[in-house]
Amino acid sequence: MTVAPATVKATEVRLGDRVRARSGVELTVTRIDEEFMGRADMVAFVEDSAEQWFKMPAPRDSDVELVRRDGAVH
Amino acid sequence: MVVNVASRCGLTPQYEGLERLQARFGAAGFTVLGVPCNQFAGQEPGTPEEIQQFCSATYGTSFPLTEKLEVNGRKRHPLYQRLTAVPDTDGRAGEVEWNFEKFLISPAGEIVARWRPLVEPEDARVIGAIERVLA
Repeated sequence: MTVAPATVKATEVRLGDRVRARSGVELTVTRIDEEFMGRADMVAFVEDSAEQWFKMPAPRDSDVELVRRDGAVH
Repeated sequence: MVVNVASRCGLTPQYEGLERLQARFGAAGFTVLGVPCNQFAGQEPGTPEEIQQFCSATYGTSFPLTEKLEVNGRKRHPLYQRLTAVPDTDGRAGEVEWNFEKFLISPAGEIVARWRPLVEPEDARVIGAIERVLA
């Protein structure tokens, strides 16, 4: 089990990470888009699962709240 | 014209342009149909009543809103199953990209155009397409 920090840089988010949007909605990342609406300085995290479809963009250099990684809860 | 909307998005001021379209073309049979959706960063968290109140009080909207719908994913509403099959001006079909994506439907029910969120409601391409379907 990997112990991860409570926040990570947007560029360090991995598939399978559970992250929290500013709105409070959480998503488990199943896809990472390498740009957002034509902006290469942003990424977008998507959960496309039976549970929900949800998209959360983030600037590449921003911090992202990490809720869970590899089973470790923060 | 069907538009997925959100109250807390940087594009939310597009409501102003949408309402001007409604005022300009409404008498000819045109209507905007707003579709509240919370799938984009959770920017539409309110109840239907709160959303309606926000739109009318902040932007003076007169066009109708649906209930809150899902526009992407496995629980996508059937309306959006049809809409997202249509390509945009760059030939890309599939997922709605973000809040305020626009689909123009003709009086005969044909989906004639799709514009991504950054295309303003009063863009010349939008105006021209509306005028053509109403002609």
